[in-house]
Amino acid sequence: MNKRLLGALGTVIVGASVIAGIGTYVASAKNDSRVLVATAAGTMNTPQGNLPHYTLDMSAYPDSMAGTHGASGGPHPDWVTYGPVTNFQVPAHSVITVTIKQYDSGARITNDFFATIHGTIDGTALINGKSVTSVDPEAVGHTFTLRGLSDAKTQLFVSVPLPSVPDALVPDSGYTKTPNVVTFSFITGGAGDYVWNCEYPCGDGTIARFGGPMSTQGYMSGNFTVVNA
Amino acid sequence: MTTMMEHSASAPGHSAPKRALIERLNIFTAFGLGIIGAIVFWYLAKAILPANTDGSYIKSNRDQYVLFSMIGWLIGFMTGIGALIGPFRWLLGKDLNHDENMFYAGKDQGVKRYLRYTTDHKVVGIQYLVLTMIIFFVGGTLAMLIRTNLAHPGGGWLQPQTYNAIVGTHGIIMIVGTIIMVTGPFGNFIMPIMIGARDMAFPRLNALSFWLIVAAVPPILSSFFLGGISTGWVAYNPLASQAPPGMDGYIMFICIFALSTMVAGANITTTVIKMRAKGMTWNRTPIFIYGVVASVALALPAFPVFFLSQVMSGMDRATGSTFYNTTGGGSGWLYENLFWIMGHPEVYVILIPAVGALMEMAPVFTRRPLFSFNMAVMGIAGISGLSVLVWAHHMYTTGWAPLLSAPFMLTTELISIPTGLLFLVLIGTLWRGRLWMTMPAASIYALLWNFMIGGITGIYLSDVPVDGALHGSMYVTAHFHYTLMGTGLTGALAALVFWFPKMTGRMFDKTLSWVGFWFVQIGFNIAFGVMFFVGLAGQPRRVDAYAALFSRGNMITTGGAYLIMTGMLVMLYGVISSWRHGALAPMNPWFSKTLEWTVPNPVPLENFDVLPVVTSDAYGYGKAKS
Amino acid sequence: MSDLDTQKRPSIFERKDVKQTVFFWVIFTAIIGYVGATAQARSMGASASETMSTTIHMIKVFTWVAAPIAGLVAAMAMTTLIGKIHFGDAPPEEADHQIRNSPRLTATWLVVSSVLCLFAVVWGTIVLQNDNAALLNPKAMNVNVTGQQWVWNFDYVDNGTVRSEDLYLPVNKPVVFHVTSRDVIHGFWIVQMGIKVDANPGYITTTSATPNKIGIYDLRCAELCGLYHAYMQKKVHVVSQSDYDAWIKSHGGQI
Repeated sequence: MNKRLLGALGTVIVGASVIAGIGTYVASAKNDSRVLVATAAGTMNTPQGNLPHYTLDMSAYPDSMAGTHGASGGPHPDWVTYGPVTNFQVPAHSVITVTIKQYDSGARITNDFFATIHGTIDGTALINGKSVTSVDPEAVGHTFTLRGLSDAKTQLFVSVPLPSVPDALVPDSGYTKTPNVVTFSFITGGAGDYVWNCEYPCGDGTIARFGGPMSTQGYMSGNFTVVNA
Repeated sequence: MTTMMEHSASAPGHSAPKRALIERLNIFTAFGLGIIGAIVFWYLAKAILPANTDGSYIKSNRDQYVLFSMIGWLIGFMTGIGALIGPFRWLLGKDLNHDENMFYAGKDQGVKRYLRYTTDHKVVGIQYLVLTMIIFFVGGTLAMLIRTNLAHPGGGWLQPQTYNAIVGTHGIIMIVGTIIMVTGPFGNFIMPIMIGARDMAFPRLNALSFWLIVAAVPPILSSFFLGGISTGWVAYNPLASQAPPGMDGYIMFICIFALSTMVAGANITTTVIKMRAKGMTWNRTPIFIYGVVASVALALPAFPVFFLSQVMSGMDRATGSTFYNTTGGGSGWLYENLFWIMGHPEVYVILIPAVGALMEMAPVFTRRPLFSFNMAVMGIAGISGLSVLVWAHHMYTTGWAPLLSAPFMLTTELISIPTGLLFLVLIGTLWRGRLWMTMPAASIYALLWNFMIGGITGIYLSDVPVDGALHGSMYVTAHFHYTLMGTGLTGALAALVFWFPKMTGRMFDKTLSWVGFWFVQIGFNIAFGVMFFVGLAGQPRRVDAYAALFSRGNMITTGGAYLIMTGMLVMLYGVISSWRHGALAPMNPWFSKTLEWTVPNPVPLENFDVLPVVTSDAYGYGKAKS
Repeated sequence: MSDLDTQKRPSIFERKDVKQTVFFWVIFTAIIGYVGATAQARSMGASASETMSTTIHMIKVFTWVAAPIAGLVAAMAMTTLIGKIHFGDAPPEEADHQIRNSPRLTATWLVVSSVLCLFAVVWGTIVLQNDNAALLNPKAMNVNVTGQQWVWNFDYVDNGTVRSEDLYLPVNKPVVFHVTSRDVIHGFWIVQMGIKVDANPGYITTTSATPNKIGIYDLRCAELCGLYHAYMQKKVHVVSQSDYDAWIKSHGGQI
């Protein structure tokens, strides 16, 4: 009697450990588990008052040979990717200024809505130093689009297009020396879990090229966590 | 018998090279040849197929290579297990002789016969049992990962693409596991003895159907290393067209599994129609047989459609056809229709044999006749007939054909009438019986409880306006777990305990069966009972993150899921320990009247020395009025 | 002996097990009906449209209609459970009868379940008919909904070229949604309005609602659509007509 129940208990413990082991392994096998924490940069005057100011820097590459996936390009060297890190952490109730260097070429975006800038302060962004509210939908490389769940917390929706680098300026190997530099600022609300991704179909698939790097976190998408400072 | 053995011993090496080949093939050569086949086909595809470039409609050849090498795997595996020897010998005009057939039946081979292409239905039944347990272990592990990720509202423990892959694989592998969980082990081991037959009608097809499923498992598991199945178990197009090559694993898995189901369906149906014992009229055929036949007969029209839908899906991915691509004149609705023409009969493929098994046990554990045998048969027939006419209730909200919503609502709700008959039969059998409380008997009550909840929530979902609020929410997930797991798995676990003595010669440990039963049933009702309410509150299905307002319900569900895991692991230990050193079982431990209990333990190779003659049905319990 | 017993049995309702069953039946029906209806309705939360109110009402009524059936099965099961239960390895005595059928009971069961089924179908069809008629309402405003991995866009076609990512609706005005998708299949679902229709690439599907309460509601994607399906959610702002007009104007549309 006791022996049987002990055996059953043993099986439960062993089985649960095996499952926990598999779970731990699967959970830790992330494409990009690093998190870039925003750098403090004093304060900034905004329509909502004087708020703490933080900055984030990132780039968008036409392949995976730079930054996050290692010099060899990781398992998919030909996939487009953001870098050097795709997970970000920023403080709540602050101004975040994001600077993106965009090295990739592009074409017409499928939805003009994402050629327009949404959710930034004044609805503007600086593109190569020039303040604009939208870009030419015929020449978009990627977008940086940030959103969260629909719940009681503060909503955050930011979407900024990254204009494409003209094909003539894209070298056969390596990256262009003159990336487009996109800078924009937005104000975070309360703490919460958000995600960001690219809304320009630049991955695998036939009907809409949203597969591959577009559907794999760590390439054209990642986590964006807002924490209480 | 002895003369036969002497004969075979006295004529060794009569056809020595060929026999040696048969003897050498087993699961290891199958895996070896399968892997070689996959590699060879990979390079062949690479050498032959024209290369696609980044600018082509299909950006690369990767899906072609993956699909080809999986076909190579299948061919290699089936060759390696010896499935092709019979057909080749037949084509050459040198069909297997008696000794070789005896070898194929696994005569005098001990444990080795379980690792071979063995045709004895009892061996195939045990093989199915072990395979089902392995599949449930994999699917259950994935379920635990899902629930662990959902314990926290924001998700993030798993990456979203990993989570989606786990949800999809859990879904499809559990569907396959539940499809084979009753008709596989018990339909193969018990059913032929129950009808008084010496084996299946087509023993080699029986082995074929089993080894096809074994061949199908590596492709689905390989999908984890090929980017995963990002589409859920339904693999809707056009989402499937942008999925990673893991999707090809799904496609091959379904195609091979569908082949297996078709083969098994033809085999079991023929066996039951042609090979019942003398005197076993349809009125005297046990109700479990009806359950098994209805299940596999439903699979006969359903799975070819599934096969077809996946072939087209694979062509869309690999060759640039546009069956499901609107821009090329196709339609995602076509896929949804093909899928659910399989998908709805399939839930009854799972459900009916499990209910049939419990209806078989009900008279045994109440010591009275089955109440209203005719209604039980009509219930099973009615469900089977209607189930092929209801598929579009999965598509009320797809917008495919709003005008067809009302007719499909009618056919769907009509199913509640034959389903009600099954309740009537079970509750009528319990009524005024002498309840012999064992784990299978308790499972009848558990089934009534779970199936009632699953059935009534099904009525809400079948109503088109209500479905507008509930479709695609966790409510649906809870509903079908109540039917497939709460009803189907409950019946399968009861069948395991009930028929374990005949299959292994040993009794299933009583204490462990009860401990497992309560953990599973309590955990199940906590987990999925609460899931209804997060669904009503608006939590969508298949999400890795959810709004904070659903967090309490999800937390409770996760706790319930861990209880289920505990119960299933206890059952696993029960199987292993009882099989190894359980109490030796008498010939008929439940004092049942069906034929499988009239053969000794272990069941001899061809079951019956003298074929039985049946003079009454198997439900003559109770004291006759004098 | 047993035969004599059976013949002496005067009336079915005087038997102990039948009395117990009736007692449990009443209790279980009440519990199942009440708990089932209230708990489900409470979980569905606030309703923001007539469609949702009808749905909640239907779930309540279906629960009460199903409760006697579920209650009867539960009561009969309960009665058999509180009777004599035999544990042990050997079987109990055989039951004292060999009853194999009861045509009257079977017929009653069939008729009752058919009537209930018919009721559900007829009522469902009537409500469905009303929902379909609402799609043709000429006074309704039109909103084009486009799903895209993993965002929604709303075009207020009656108000010029306004496009938004959150949905804004004036209160008490019927609205017809024309839903489509740019890539894969999505599910357009306004939770508190109880409406849902898939967004299919290349096709336009329709659904309609009349929001009847000012507030902020949830729009969630109901069809797995890839990586961020879980995040394909937005707010639905139901506002007064004047607030709506102001919002349209501020976004460059005309009234």
